Amino acid sequence: MNHASIISIQHMTKRFPVGKGEFTALNDINLEFGEGEFAGLVGPSGSGKTTLLNIIGSLDTPSEGTATVMGQDISTLSHKASALLRNQHIGFIFQSYNLLPVYTVFENVEFALLLQNRSASERKKAVLDALEWVGLTDKMTSKPAMLSGGEGQRVAIARAMVKRPKILLADEPSANLDAQNSHQILKTMKALNRELKTTFIFSTHDEKVMQYLDRIISLEDGKVVSDVEKAAAAL
Amino acid sequence: MLSFKIAVKNLIGAGLKTWLNVFVLSLSFVMIIFYNSMIDGWNKQAETDTIAWEIGQGQIWEKDYDPYDPYSLIDAHAVIPPELKNQATKGDVVPILITQASVYPQGRMQNILLKGIPTDQQLLDLPTAELSDEGETTPAIIGRRMSEATKLKQGDRVLLRWRDKNGTFDAQEILITKVFENNVPSIDAGQVWIPLASLQEMTGMTDEATLLVVGDDYQPVADANWEFKSIGFLLADMRAIIETKKGSAAIMYLLLLGIALLAIFDTQVLSIFRRQKEIGTYVALGMTRGQVVKLFTIEGGAHSLFAAALGALYGIPLFIYLNKVGIPMPAGTDSAGLPISSEIIPVYGLGLVVGTILLVVLSATIVSYMPARKIARMKPTEALKGKIQ
Ligand SMILES: Nc1ncnc2c1ncn2[C@@H]1O[C@H](COP(=O)(O)OP(=O)(O)OP(=O)(O)O)[C@@H](O)[C@H]1O
Ligand SMILES: [Mg+2]
Repeated sequence: MNHASIISIQHMTKRFPVGKGEFTALNDINLEFGEGEFAGLVGPSGSGKTTLLNIIGSLDTPSEGTATVMGQDISTLSHKASALLRNQHIGFIFQSYNLLPVYTVFENVEFALLLQNRSASERKKAVLDALEWVGLTDKMTSKPAMLSGGEGQRVAIARAMVKRPKILLADEPSANLDAQNSHQILKTMKALNRELKTTFIFSTHDEKVMQYLDRIISLEDGKVVSDVEKAAAAL
Repeated sequence: MLSFKIAVKNLIGAGLKTWLNVFVLSLSFVMIIFYNSMIDGWNKQAETDTIAWEIGQGQIWEKDYDPYDPYSLIDAHAVIPPELKNQATKGDVVPILITQASVYPQGRMQNILLKGIPTDQQLLDLPTAELSDEGETTPAIIGRRMSEATKLKQGDRVLLRWRDKNGTFDAQEILITKVFENNVPSIDAGQVWIPLASLQEMTGMTDEATLLVVGDDYQPVADANWEFKSIGFLLADMRAIIETKKGSAAIMYLLLLGIALLAIFDTQVLSIFRRQKEIGTYVALGMTRGQVVKLFTIEGGAHSLFAAALGALYGIPLFIYLNKVGIPMPAGTDSAGLPISSEIIPVYGLGLVVGTILLVVLSATIVSYMPARKIARMKPTEALKGKIQ
């Protein structure tokens, strides 16, 4: 890999307490991600995709081994430090969009910047840029309830991207979308990936998503079973 | 500030439920201020009336006088010392002689306090000028309550029976020359006022009095037989009783406040449960859990600010109106023999308003914080799944 590594996972295991015992959701994972990658985690339900994304996003911590994101060891971060890491460097996109219902499209996108204490004019410019990326400038004042699924997910992309994060984590972003909308958001994200050099990591079952990925990492029962760069994947 | 903006937006976004909570809370705001201002107003009116009708700027009591023991009246009279008599002539003090007696309206005996007062006194609002007409029969004035209790009306004659200073019974007719309206039961109920000179003569207590009411120009006189009682002393019991009314009113509005707080608490618990995904999203967007706790606390607490605004919206006009026309007291609200007028002008103290706002804002914030603490223990990954029970 010729990119600088911004995510490094080494001998990382994640166990969840289940009843009296434990369940191993991730088992001895070793992965590196470089700047500007467009990678996807694929695998059957329960294989550990979401769990891995959560740890990279510092929403959860490893049980063993290390996960280093932007040079910071996730296991050792305080609540505050991990919040700051997310706030500054990580964008999330969820299967169910998770837009804040009482806000307009503009305000939803602006929210991420409010947490960064940016000035109003800075925020406005950044939000308008982000809405242009996803082609929703004309829906700026709509409430999430009035949007179609595809539009909702595009707002979520704009919200995740508006702060120009280093890393964007997307957990099954196309699961609730039809084919046309799936292609559209993937194209949008690919373009942003090229333009902003953001590292994208998806989790997905979706063939349509896979065809856009430069790198496909297959998980099974919490283990990486294959890790293939595009040239090979395109075969 | 950010939390506050977000909180207010969420609260308004929650719609009807918010406004219901806010409305009930605003009712308790208005009720707290209404009740307390009414009682403060009553207190003030009662004091003003008592000063005007009964106690002046204080009283000087004959040493044996005890207003709670009618039998003390047998001994509680003495010759007015010359220095006081001087001031009485100038009208700076008003001597009052009190004795037990009975009247026989419609032939039925009723025990009364018979009070003699100078007919030309100006210190008290009692219409003593009505006693000055020199007829065959001794003139007497009574208050509205006494009139209602005895059915005696202006122009009526009634038999009066009393003992003189030697304990010998005597009787004569008196003429009711005036029934006066007033708010002060303690100069009215069970009492008949006649000219001081007549009472002194009837009882043989020449130049004697039981107490003297003093005015602004009173010069203190030291005399072992006479004790000065200040306004504060004379009003103390009344103030204490009126303050206890605050306590019983408090039950009413604290109950209402409790209901409002319970509703906020309930809303909070429910919204924290229902909005797990939102909470997870806030954390994913980079808020600390502490910030989210703060957000939800402010959101719940902001109910009280809305309530203050809403309460002001209908409360201020209401209070201004009540301040103009007074709060009507239904006839016969002679509460515990305390002075009460037919309308009470409420008194709104700054302390009352500020204190009420503090009480409501603080309690609303506390009940909002309690369920919000739970957020700090949530795992963001679970919250995002919305699976926390
Ligand atoms: N908090 C938890 N407690 C116990 N087990 C958990 C917990 N979170 C995840 N797991 C388990 O870990 C495994 C991996 O879960 P994960 O959500 O990462 O799967 P996934 O690959 O994202 O699946 P899907 O494609 O269905 O989303 C699953 O078997 C799941 O039941
Ligand atoms: Mg998943």
